[in-house]
Amino acid sequence: MSDAEKAAEVCLLDDDVSVLKSMRFLLLAEGFNVRAFSNPEEFLAHANENQVAVLVTDVWMDKVTGLEVLARLCAISPKTKVIVVTGREDSAARATATAIGPVAFFIKPFEDEKFIAAVRGALA
Amino acid sequence: MSSQEHDEQFDLLQTITMEVAAAGDIGSALEIVLRRVCEKTNWALGQAWLPNKQKTLLQCGPVWLCGGPELAGFRTVSEKSEFPPGVGLPGRVWKAKAPAWIDDVREDANFPRAAAAKAQGLKAAVGIPILSGDEVIAVIEFFMREPRHENEQLVKVISAVAAQLDLVMERRFAAAELSRTNEILHSILSDMGDAVVVADKDGSFLVFNPAAQRMFGQGATQSSPAEWPQRYGLYLPDKVTPFPADELPLMRSVRGEEVNNIEMYVRNNKVPKGLWTRITGRPLRGANGELLGGVIVCRDISAIKEEEFFRAGQSSVLEMIAADKPLGEVLESLVLLMEGQSEGLRCSILLLNRDGKHVRHGAAPSLPEAYVKAIDGQPIGPRNGSCGTAMYLRQRVVVSDVTTDPLWTAYREFAKNCGLSACWSTPIISAQGDVLGSFAMYREEKRGPYPYEERLTCIATHIAGIAIDRQRQQETLRERDARIRLAAESADLAFWSLYPEQNTAWMSEKGRVIYGFEPDAKLTCESILSRVHPDERAKVKSEYDSACAIHGKFESEHRLLLPYGKVRWVIMRGHCVKDVDGKIIETIGVTVDVSAQKQADLQMQMQREEMAHRNRVSLMGEMTASFAHELNQPLTAIANNASAARRFIERGNIDPTLLQELLQALISDSRRAGEVIQGIRSLVRKETSVQTRLDLNAVIEETVRLVSTDIVSRDSVVTTELDPQLPQVDGALVQIQQVLLNLIMNALDASEGLKPGDRRIIISTRSERGDVAEVTVRDFGVGLPQDRPDKIFDHFFSTKQKGMGMGLTIVRSIVEAHGGTITAENAPERGARIVVRLPAARGELEKGKAAA
Repeated sequence: MSDAEKAAEVCLLDDDVSVLKSMRFLLLAEGFNVRAFSNPEEFLAHANENQVAVLVTDVWMDKVTGLEVLARLCAISPKTKVIVVTGREDSAARATATAIGPVAFFIKPFEDEKFIAAVRGALA
Repeated sequence: MSSQEHDEQFDLLQTITMEVAAAGDIGSALEIVLRRVCEKTNWALGQAWLPNKQKTLLQCGPVWLCGGPELAGFRTVSEKSEFPPGVGLPGRVWKAKAPAWIDDVREDANFPRAAAAKAQGLKAAVGIPILSGDEVIAVIEFFMREPRHENEQLVKVISAVAAQLDLVMERRFAAAELSRTNEILHSILSDMGDAVVVADKDGSFLVFNPAAQRMFGQGATQSSPAEWPQRYGLYLPDKVTPFPADELPLMRSVRGEEVNNIEMYVRNNKVPKGLWTRITGRPLRGANGELLGGVIVCRDISAIKEEEFFRAGQSSVLEMIAADKPLGEVLESLVLLMEGQSEGLRCSILLLNRDGKHVRHGAAPSLPEAYVKAIDGQPIGPRNGSCGTAMYLRQRVVVSDVTTDPLWTAYREFAKNCGLSACWSTPIISAQGDVLGSFAMYREEKRGPYPYEERLTCIATHIAGIAIDRQRQQETLRERDARIRLAAESADLAFWSLYPEQNTAWMSEKGRVIYGFEPDAKLTCESILSRVHPDERAKVKSEYDSACAIHGKFESEHRLLLPYGKVRWVIMRGHCVKDVDGKIIETIGVTVDVSAQKQADLQMQMQREEMAHRNRVSLMGEMTASFAHELNQPLTAIANNASAARRFIERGNIDPTLLQELLQALISDSRRAGEVIQGIRSLVRKETSVQTRLDLNAVIEETVRLVSTDIVSRDSVVTTELDPQLPQVDGALVQIQQVLLNLIMNALDASEGLKPGDRRIIISTRSERGDVAEVTVRDFGVGLPQDRPDKIFDHFFSTKQKGMGMGLTIVRSIVEAHGGTITAENAPERGARIVVRLPAARGELEKGKAAA
């Protein structure tokens, strides 16, 4: 892993804490600089003040949808690469997310290798 | 008698017959007879005796003949003698009406002129009567100088000769009679009003009386009958076609026909205006029936004819009114009819505007257009010409001189320019007493109306009143009609009338569209009934009949089947018009096309069903999806955590605390997944608490109907074999439907790869013991895993690519929550069989036992 990869921050956003933690463990095991958020507002506040290289976000969350978060993130930090993970195959969600431009789209449960490759790709 | 004598006598008879026939009168005929008889038969003297006017005495006629002047003495005595019947030779013959012979007059007792005869030496004598019918019209006598016995042959010859004379005498009497008759006839013919024309066989006029001359002109000038029609101006009743010469009544009578009441129009120099005549003709025949000529009598029927035409004219105007011809045309015809009745008469009709204050042009075909235009729109009032004033005052206004009358102050110039002097106007008043307009007569001479003109006015105002009144009513009707039609068209209403007696029917334009009839098709009650959908026809007919008979009205909602298969929904309402005996004369009514509404209703119903279907189908889908999501979270976490643990271990620098944490997460996520599954069951159990008594057979049929579109779209067939004895069960309807839906959808999925003919699903019910209701769903698909068919009920087991493997899990949860069981097995030949057993509802068992 390059130093650049280590330095760049990967943020995770999911209101399901166990999923959030599991993703964090997975990326930590691969040596990424990971910061996890279960609250979208907290993440957006963080992103407003810090450089976020990659965001991995769920689509369906209690307070606000991931798509909305993406729209707002686009305004704050247009350079942040986005990876969407969703529990539900939803063509509308996929279409909208695609329009906003994530670099990858995963349906839970996903294959760990592909997921890690996607995060790595986003940091490159 | 010698043969010579005989020949002479025959010769005599022949000569005399010819000569007498040629004689012009009785005098010369007598002379011929006397001379020839004396000459041929040696009589010395012949003379004739004629009865006086009183027929009391015979007197000596002017003609006599004798063999020599020495007999003049006897002639003189004879001329002085008169004989009553029976006296002397002439008297004797007269009385006996038979010839008489005297051998010697000197020895005869009844011969007063015996002395004279003796003196003249006359001895034998014969007297012969000349008879006309039974009457003796003359007696001829002959004398001889020597005595002689009666010679019968001679008497016969002379008698025959006398008979010839009779013809001549008769002719003379007839001529005298004729001339007397002629005189009478002549006076009749001269004085009579009818024209009489008599023609002989050649068409020469024998009589052409003064009336005929007044009618036809001079008849004395002879011409060929072929020229008569042109010469005398004879026409057929069309007034223009010359009367065919061969068909002329006179010619027909001359040919021997009897001709009765032939009407002919005559127009010539004598009668330039023309006249109508009615002709009767008879042939003239002689005593033996031979045709002599013909006679015609021609009556001038112009007055009758004019009245007839006038009446026909009135009738035709009334017909125009009845036929609803435009008012302008009707009034114009009326005005022309009136004008035709009198020379120099011009008429006009003005209408009163609906505002009741102004006049409108009605009809004035003979008045100048400028005048008509000037009058149109003028106000009515107490001094507004003849018409305006007549309408205003509601009474007749007679102005005999428009140039001086104060009423015409404002219109004088108009009238002057048109050369009008008199104008009499009468208001036209409706039956209700409203003033409709006015009828006016104009004349160029300054005068008031004559009685016949007043009569015309009466007729004209009466007819005009009818026409205007009718037109106003029609207008009102038309307006109402138009409004109704408009309303009807926009409301898709059909108007109709049925006349069951005549088996005819009428239908409005819109109605014909609704019922699919051509605009001009002839309609009958049957043809309308034939449009009713065959499935409902008999029902509608009997409903109609009984409703009309009982209530006199009828209402029905039914379908129509139009040509080319179009179906309409209609509501038909009608009521009957009955006569005094209660027989239905007419049924009138409306039909409303409610197809659109019905369509909307049907669509709505379909949508509702579709929605219900979607809801039910998607409920399962959503439940599945939601459970899937719920499960995905812990599964994702488990996979991630396990993967992370492996990676840390692979790197060999794993922190035991971190590992602890990962393992703890794995445990709790697995537990959480188990809770999700548990949650499905508890959710199902919670919903099952709302239970009702269910007839599974009915639920099955309803459910099959819900998915019927899916079944059809997948080219599949679902058949049911339902046990009517199936006990009822207690359950949540929606959940039981979910179970059935799921099983059916699974079976449909399983049939996907089959040939369309094999895509069969059989749903059957049965109850072996009465305490359990058994439902079997069988397909002919690939079947179940051979080793463990009931594996399909495990979580996440799916034979389908897209399936989540949750459906049957839920199904089993539901069935078990209802205290039932669900089993799966492979059917004997192929395909799967899922059997759901649900306990019979409480009370059902007892019922089943009671039935057993």
